[in-house]
Amino acid sequence: MALVLAAVTATVQAQLIDYSSEERARIGAHGPWPPPPAQDPSNALQRKPAVVALGKQLFGDARLSADGQLSCAGCHVPAMAFQDGRPLPLGRSRHTVGARNTPSLLDTAWQRWLGWGGANDSLWAASLAPLLASNEMAHASVASVAATVRRTVAWREGWQRAFGKLSADDELVAVQAAKALAAYQASLVSARTPFDDFRDALLRGDSAAASRYPLAAQRGLRLFMGSARCNVCHVGAAFSNGEFADIGRPFFVPGGVDSGRHGGLESLLASRWNRLGPFNDAGAADPRAVTTRHVVQEHRHFGEFRVPTLRQLHCTGPYMHDGSLPSLRAVVQHYSQLDEERLHADGERILRRLDLSDGEAADLQAFLGTLSSSCVAAMPSRLEAGRKRPRPAP
Amino acid sequence: MMLRWLLAAVSLAGPGVACAACPPLAADGAQLSQGSTLLAWRTEPAMLRVGQPFSMIVQLCPADASLLRVDASMPEHRHGMNYKTSLHALGDGRWRVDGLLWHMAGRWELRWDVRSRAEPAAAVDTLRAPVLLQ
Repeated sequence: MALVLAAVTATVQAQLIDYSSEERARIGAHGPWPPPPAQDPSNALQRKPAVVALGKQLFGDARLSADGQLSCAGCHVPAMAFQDGRPLPLGRSRHTVGARNTPSLLDTAWQRWLGWGGANDSLWAASLAPLLASNEMAHASVASVAATVRRTVAWREGWQRAFGKLSADDELVAVQAAKALAAYQASLVSARTPFDDFRDALLRGDSAAASRYPLAAQRGLRLFMGSARCNVCHVGAAFSNGEFADIGRPFFVPGGVDSGRHGGLESLLASRWNRLGPFNDAGAADPRAVTTRHVVQEHRHFGEFRVPTLRQLHCTGPYMHDGSLPSLRAVVQHYSQLDEERLHADGERILRRLDLSDGEAADLQAFLGTLSSSCVAAMPSRLEAGRKRPRPAP
Repeated sequence: MMLRWLLAAVSLAGPGVACAACPPLAADGAQLSQGSTLLAWRTEPAMLRVGQPFSMIVQLCPADASLLRVDASMPEHRHGMNYKTSLHALGDGRWRVDGLLWHMAGRWELRWDVRSRAEPAAAVDTLRAPVLLQ
């Protein structure tokens, strides 16, 4: 019996890489998942169930657009990780395309900056923007948004429960609609992944459970946080530092260039709907306003785009700000064969060509694959169950 | 991710100033000196995390020295922060610095520019400390 147990133990150990204590610490830093619920003081009612319910109703209703033809869910498809699966989104007319890939809305509650250029510093401001964008929901003004809210009988009961009596102030009504949309989006949390189970098992010393994680993914993880240094930017439980980077992707668009973070900062700082503006429910006391108050726009931000989360990657392709890479394999190849000449001459010196072997590329891809589990938002009860697992890893 | 002090020119023998805040106490944080300036600093929160904003409390000696600028960069990566700090005098040589955020793990270099005395013609001392954010 003892021999059998020893043999089983040996088999188990053979399937688990002997990570160093430093590597284990780095792995631990990519969790736990999910994190504690995000708070947004600028949207005081974000967690009020009636506001979330109203937001969900508005999100799926095409009547929210100026011509009644396009809902938020039309581009942010709930069954597709709240994106559209296209390189670039179809415009309102369905004959034109936008300039940037539609981002997933999962886990956006934890994002400091929203959108590929970070033009907004809250989910509600990021929700107001498409309502007023000519190639999206196409309202000409906040008055048009407010008029739509006032005339849509189907929303009145939900609005009353969420906000009480409809205000006569058009701008406030438009912002409230955006805050309801934000409340719903803040509830969209991605499911736990095989990586999360591995990470937790490793940290609590459960080798048997940890060894169920594929060896190729274990090797890919070592590469990710080792020589490939992916975790310099893709850090933490969200696998993103929440900032922006130039990774050598083209930023030319028809008729010009996409200035990325540079333009995003311009819009952010000019907006009266940022955290420093009059619609922040917490006013100057909002701790999350500190980054808006101190962020600076510099030339080096030109052509930088948001460092995206890597969670649920299988559901969020095509990849990059312009949707130009069709697969995870193409993403890995981009970094493996990186053209360093395309990086800013005066920019950061972080990225370098990885020159991965076929085996290394496959391992890295295998690891990235384990960051996916489901294309739909997790049920809160299942996330809660994840939080209550025995001996949770710190 | 813990903040680890790699190097800080520790000096408890600061300029003699008749002021309750000088010389700094151990609780005022790591200390370093340059020219006639002694500086102690600590962060709030004490434990820093990649991508999380933080503040800094600085104690200057002599207490009439002025904090002119606080910045940080990653020399190996050739970039600084994406944020510009704001400085707030709290009195008795104590300053609060807001708007710090380090978006990558690795070696950062903190830099303080300090006017050593209240006179406009006084020398400006630049103090630096490397910090490893893990």
